[in-house]
Amino acid sequence: MPLPPRDFDTIGPRQGQRFPDVRLPDQTGAVIDLHAARAGRTALVVFYRSAEW
Amino acid sequence: MALFAVSYDSLAILRDFAAAHGIDYPLLSDEGSHVMRALGLINERVQEDHAAYGIAPNPRHVNLPYPGVVVLDEAGAVVQKRFFESYRERDTGSGLVAQVLGIVAEPASAMPVTEGVVKARGWLDSPTYAFFQRLVLTVELAIAPGFHVYGETAQDGLTPLAVEIGAIDGLEVGVARWPAGDLFEGVVRGTLPLTFAAPPGGGDHTLDVTVHFQACDDGSCLVPAMLRLQVPIREAPLVGRTLPAPGASPAPAPPATPGATTR
Repeated sequence: MPLPPRDFDTIGPRQGQRFPDVRLPDQTGAVIDLHAARAGRTALVVFYRSAEW
Repeated sequence: MALFAVSYDSLAILRDFAAAHGIDYPLLSDEGSHVMRALGLINERVQEDHAAYGIAPNPRHVNLPYPGVVVLDEAGAVVQKRFFESYRERDTGSGLVAQVLGIVAEPASAMPVTEGVVKARGWLDSPTYAFFQRLVLTVELAIAPGFHVYGETAQDGLTPLAVEIGAIDGLEVGVARWPAGDLFEGVVRGTLPLTFAAPPGGGDHTLDVTVHFQACDDGSCLVPAMLRLQVPIREAPLVGRTLPAPGASPAPAPPATPGATTR
C-alpha cells in the first residue's frame, strides 16, 4: 500500500521564518554563504536529487 | 533574484555538469546531505516507500531531499515553498516560473470553445514535457452575466464543475483545484497537476480535456453540458539525452548511468 502523502507545511524551513545560514562549496570549489551571496536580493533555492542521475 | 541549487553531488560532478550545460549560478555541493538534513528536507521514507512498491533498495536513494524550491524575500525569510513527494518529480522550467513566480506566458494558442453560456479555454504551463516532469493545466471558464456554475459541493441533482482528461499512456492526473466557494460566476480558473510517467519516447500528444458543468440563473438551470478542449503538448528529451527515434520501442525508464535505477 502506498504511504499517505506528506504535509509539506511541516517539512523543511518554515514559512515566514528566516532561511537558516547555509555555507556550502559551489562547482568551482568556492565556499558560498547563501545569504551573503544573495546580497539583499530575493532568492530561489532549488533542492534536487542529483546532477548525475 | 538570486538562484542556488543544492544536491548531494560531489564538487567534481557539479563542475562537469555546470561545464556541460553552461551553468553559471551556484550549484552547491552538500555531500553527505548534512545541510539538507539540518534543514529537515531529507525524505526518510524512500526506503519504506520502495518496500511498499516492491522496488529494490538502491544506494543512490539514501539521503535524498524532497525535490522542490524555497523562495526567499529580500530579508531572507521563506515566503513560499513548493515540494514534491517523489524524488523523480519536478517542475518544468517555465512551470516553475509560472507556479512560483506567478509569471505566466500569455496563452495565445489557447483557443476558446463555447457551449451555451460558458466559454472555456485551457493551457499548460509548459509547451513540452519530459519524463516525470510535473505540468499544470489551467482551465478557464467565462460564464455569461446572470449565470453561475456549481462547484464540487453542488446539491443533489445538479452537475458540479469537473474536468476529465482523456487517457494517455503513463499520464498521471492529480486533483483539480478551484477557488473556494459553492458556485462560480464571471471568470473562474482551475488547475490540474499532470505528470508524464511513461518512459521517454511516448511522443507528442494532444490532451483531450472535457469540462462538465451545469449553468443556472437565479430562476432555473440549463441542462448539464460539457465542453471539449484540445491542448497540444510536445515531448522534450531529458537534459543531456536524446529522445528514442520515432517508431523505436520506448526506452526503459532512463538510468543516467549503469547501475542506476529511476524508481
